[in-house]
Amino acid sequence: MAPEPPLLTMSGITKSFPGVRALDGVDLDVQAGEVHCLLGQNGAGKSTLIKVLAGAHQPDDGTITWRGEPVTLKSPIAAVRRGIATMYQELDLVEHLSVAENVYLGHEPTAAGFVVRGRAAKESTGALLRRLGHPEVDPGRLVGDLSAAQQQIVSMARALSHDVRLIVMDEPTAALDPDETDNLFRIVADLTADGVAVIYISHRLEEIRRIGDRVTVLKDGRSVASGLPAKSTPTREVVALMTGRNVEYVFPERPAATAQQPAGAPLLEVQGLARAGEFEPFDLTVHPGEIVGLAGLVGSGRSEILETVYGARKPTAGRVLVDGKPLKPGSVRAAVAAGLGLAPEERKAQALLMLESVTRNVSVSSMSRFSRGGWIDRGAESGAARAAVRELSLRPDNPDVPVRTLSGGNQQKAVLARWLLRGCKVLLLDEPTRGVDVGARAELYAVVRRLADEGLAVLLVSSEVPEVLGLADRVLVLREGRIVHRAPARELDEHRVLDLVMEGSPVSPTGLTSTTSLTSRTEGNPAS
Amino acid sequence: MTQPVSPPRGSADKVPQVSEKTGPRVAFARADVRTLSLLGVLAALILIGGITKPDEFLDTRNLQLVLTQASVIGVVTVGMTFVIISGGIDLSVGAIVALASVWATTVATQEYGFAGILFTAVIVGVGCGLVNGVLIAYGGMVPFIATLAMLASARGFALQITDGNTQVVTVPSVLDLGERDAYVLGIPPLVLVFAAVTVIGWLVLNRTTFGRRTVAVGGNAEAARLAGIDVRRQRLYLYLLSGLCCGIAAFLLIVLSGSGQNTNGNLYELDAIAAAIIGGTLLSGGRGTIVGSVLGVLIFMTITNIFALNNLQTDVQQIAKGAIIVAAVLVQRRTASTT
Amino acid sequence: MSQFTSRRRMLFGTAAVGAGALLAGCTSNEPSDEESASSQNEQPAADDKPGKQVTIGYAGPQADHGWLNAVNLNAKNRAEKYEDVTLEVTEGSNDTATQIGQIETLINKKVDVLVILPADGKALTQVGLKAMRAGIPVVNLDRIFNSPQAYRCWIGGDNYGMGLNAGHYIGEKLKHKKTARVVELAGLDNLPLTKERTQGFDDALKNYPNIEKVARQAADFTVESGQAKMAQLLQAQSEFDALWNHDDDQGVGALRAIEQAGRDEFLMVGGAGSLAAFQAIEQDNGVLKATVLYPPSMAASAIDLARALGQGKGVGGLAEFEIPSSLTLYSAVVDKENVDQYMSTGFK
Repeated sequence: MAPEPPLLTMSGITKSFPGVRALDGVDLDVQAGEVHCLLGQNGAGKSTLIKVLAGAHQPDDGTITWRGEPVTLKSPIAAVRRGIATMYQELDLVEHLSVAENVYLGHEPTAAGFVVRGRAAKESTGALLRRLGHPEVDPGRLVGDLSAAQQQIVSMARALSHDVRLIVMDEPTAALDPDETDNLFRIVADLTADGVAVIYISHRLEEIRRIGDRVTVLKDGRSVASGLPAKSTPTREVVALMTGRNVEYVFPERPAATAQQPAGAPLLEVQGLARAGEFEPFDLTVHPGEIVGLAGLVGSGRSEILETVYGARKPTAGRVLVDGKPLKPGSVRAAVAAGLGLAPEERKAQALLMLESVTRNVSVSSMSRFSRGGWIDRGAESGAARAAVRELSLRPDNPDVPVRTLSGGNQQKAVLARWLLRGCKVLLLDEPTRGVDVGARAELYAVVRRLADEGLAVLLVSSEVPEVLGLADRVLVLREGRIVHRAPARELDEHRVLDLVMEGSPVSPTGLTSTTSLTSRTEGNPAS
Repeated sequence: MTQPVSPPRGSADKVPQVSEKTGPRVAFARADVRTLSLLGVLAALILIGGITKPDEFLDTRNLQLVLTQASVIGVVTVGMTFVIISGGIDLSVGAIVALASVWATTVATQEYGFAGILFTAVIVGVGCGLVNGVLIAYGGMVPFIATLAMLASARGFALQITDGNTQVVTVPSVLDLGERDAYVLGIPPLVLVFAAVTVIGWLVLNRTTFGRRTVAVGGNAEAARLAGIDVRRQRLYLYLLSGLCCGIAAFLLIVLSGSGQNTNGNLYELDAIAAAIIGGTLLSGGRGTIVGSVLGVLIFMTITNIFALNNLQTDVQQIAKGAIIVAAVLVQRRTASTT
Repeated sequence: MSQFTSRRRMLFGTAAVGAGALLAGCTSNEPSDEESASSQNEQPAADDKPGKQVTIGYAGPQADHGWLNAVNLNAKNRAEKYEDVTLEVTEGSNDTATQIGQIETLINKKVDVLVILPADGKALTQVGLKAMRAGIPVVNLDRIFNSPQAYRCWIGGDNYGMGLNAGHYIGEKLKHKKTARVVELAGLDNLPLTKERTQGFDDALKNYPNIEKVARQAADFTVESGQAKMAQLLQAQSEFDALWNHDDDQGVGALRAIEQAGRDEFLMVGGAGSLAAFQAIEQDNGVLKATVLYPPSMAASAIDLARALGQGKGVGGLAEFEIPSSLTLYSAVVDKENVDQYMSTGFK
């Protein structure tokens, strides 16, 4: 590394909360102008560490040295004044204020104690946005009217509105399209060229390989490795550090029988289903024991398709059949009654009752099974929930704990347990591993495969191509609301899928979450 | 892409923070602590009452008085608690009580005697609840606005019926129910009704699918919908339930005051909401207890009683009421967060 | 009930003079021979002989209370008695802005005289001034305007006098007792009139050193609150000799609470003069022995005054050529002795 002293050195940082030792001796050093990646599973202490750095938490012990001097960061403002800016994962913007007002929130240009509305703030905000490659964002617009990606840019503009020397980015690409991700990475490159350091947190190893310089790995509140070279450290080693385990292949074997289209009646049949403006008419069948994957970019209509099949959106054409019987269109209740179950993309917002126990989250769709005349037999309920939770090896295996205390992977299992208990026949999975860390993904994949083996039909949607290829038996490739290709998963590879997905689209291929970059485009457009 | 690496199948995802054994206890303990802190507030009030006015306060008649006075607003609060748990609000409860009480005490209704008065009060309550429910569940109106509109029109309707006059009840069987002779083993019938509504409310909330659905709709309406719950129908039923409680409360008020007046139920909506909030019901929905709400009502009534017994005036009473709301909520937060 | 007035008159007397009696003649300056007539409804309106045609504009608040309802009725019935009076009545409203609009319409219609019972006296002062400047005399009913320039004549009740007379009545009844305890069930504490009634009551009791006021609670003029507060008072005071209740409407609830508590050791005096109260006093089988008037017939008198103003006449029985600029009505005590006389004025 560079011979000059580090921009930031954190050493021996500890922080406890009632009942939890969140940080237990973390060391981190960051050089000016580098992208320093922070890796770790959920609960490893990443969030706490960046909150200490942002002045939002005070460490119990340890020292922070900033530009050669020991400092204490008493408050978020103190951190910002020293040039440390933080972009949190959950965007902390005020929707009903304008872009410029958000950027200068808390340090508004003032005259005689009054906030100066107007030109100066707008102009400098405009300049920042141009620098960030988004001149189209009007500083006077309300933030609530912007897209998620644009809001991210505003958040970054806010960070840069200070005289910043270090920016912490917590999962900045979670809500971004590939081209937006590209733009973000370009900005990161510009910043580091100016000598600004970036602490970059992401679940996506491929992103870290692309833009990272060095990696620090956290596990259970400790830094288990610091300063690893980001580009050359083998994935196997990184994952081993994060999980503390030896590594194996993620994807379970698919049974030979399902490699081809299975014989017999399909469990789920989609006939000419369409929603004007979202996706065009398409057909689809899923047989018992089969996992069918839908691959496509954000905005290609994947989630819309899944939600329409489920009845959460009303189709403008076509119908859905389960076991040969057509469903009442636009009715979730009819779909659930017929044996459909959805694990939605936004687990917390769309699936879980966060204040409730695991049991109640699992039993919510099967209440009539444990009740007579509306009266719940709580013994039967909790027994059944316990059994479903055990079957999916959800941890902790005590279903009385509040679901909010579970990790992402276990929360997803709670959703699956709900449908297992309901006796559902068709499982619809929308981005099943979003927010689930690397170690836990494999287990989820195994669970999904096992459920299919037991006779369920699974329809899977994911933006991560390898996930679709690795888990599904058959794959449908979706582009701009149209199915452009269908094939057994083992006949496809990432190159091919990426090609299909981006054919004719202006999106840069490197934006897709894949280590594979395309060097050339194959011609030909296999019809669906 | 993440390289295809993972732990062996079956091994567990890391479990953050909550250990298996303490988990449920913590969850239960929290609910208990909340209830206990309310009981603590009530005990403190009883202590204050007992010290300042030992003879008048610590007296069977006073206990009967406090519980009787709590009955009307208590029944309303049980219904309100369900609505708030479901993420809604019912601002029309006081107006519904007024309308039901005047409709049930018109000369024409009184001709049908006890049954006529009871039936009319309940039907008017349920009818108003039905209108609220349909507007909110199927008309897509925000509960705040729909019930605000009901507040205004029910009060107007009540005024139209009475012309501002007090309608005195002349049916002896109704009046007798509010007299000392009607007490069952020393318990006023009004208090028995209140107790029954509380117990039924508790059972419905904690032991039935209706209660579960209420909590689910309030905790996360979208998740409830995607889990296959008929969210709209549930909302309709909830406002019906609140209306039913208002109808029952109106009947109790008729018995208690021996009359119907269009000014009845003044500001019940605020009292009921305040009691529910003090009782630990989240205004945003998804959590709340009947026991907590009822304790909230009893706390308010005990304060009123102690102040009246000590001859303190309205201004002091109002200031203290506000202070107690803040104190009760702060105490709960503190006790809940340190457990 | 919500009559606002700051007028205090130390009127203390024993004669129960009907509110209408003072105005018995609204004609020329000749004294009316009917001056001592009993109830104003039976008494022929002073000079029934048709005179100059007068159009009177009447703007009152929404009748959401028995007393206000009675006020509006009194005005209408009185006006119907006169062939020479046309009454323009506005829709009652409690909203200040609405009422101002209604009164401005009446001004534009060029009515001869205005009778205004404002929703809020202070807030409607400006529109009173406007009418006066436009040459329309204003009879201000009960809730007084801020400025005497805004009305030609004010007529209203006497809240202080109510308390005073109630206090004296109770004082005389308990005079023989060595020590006596009284309790007060007041009206809505937010209103100045409640304070005035309490002040009058306290001042009267100062004349009787044997009497102690042991408790006071405020209800809010509703039956429900009357029951609730009275129940508490009864629990707080296991024995007392007299109760003054500011308002007969909340008195319905108070009587209910007394009945429920099975108490009858004290005498009760009400306020305002409702029909139910009169009937109870007449039957004399409960604690309610008397009530202090706040007569809604003041509206009838206001019509009489307005008619006199319109016809350019004075008040019978007085020497002056003009009607007075202010009339505070006497808060008579109605008890078993004189209740028959008032029965017809009781409001529901």
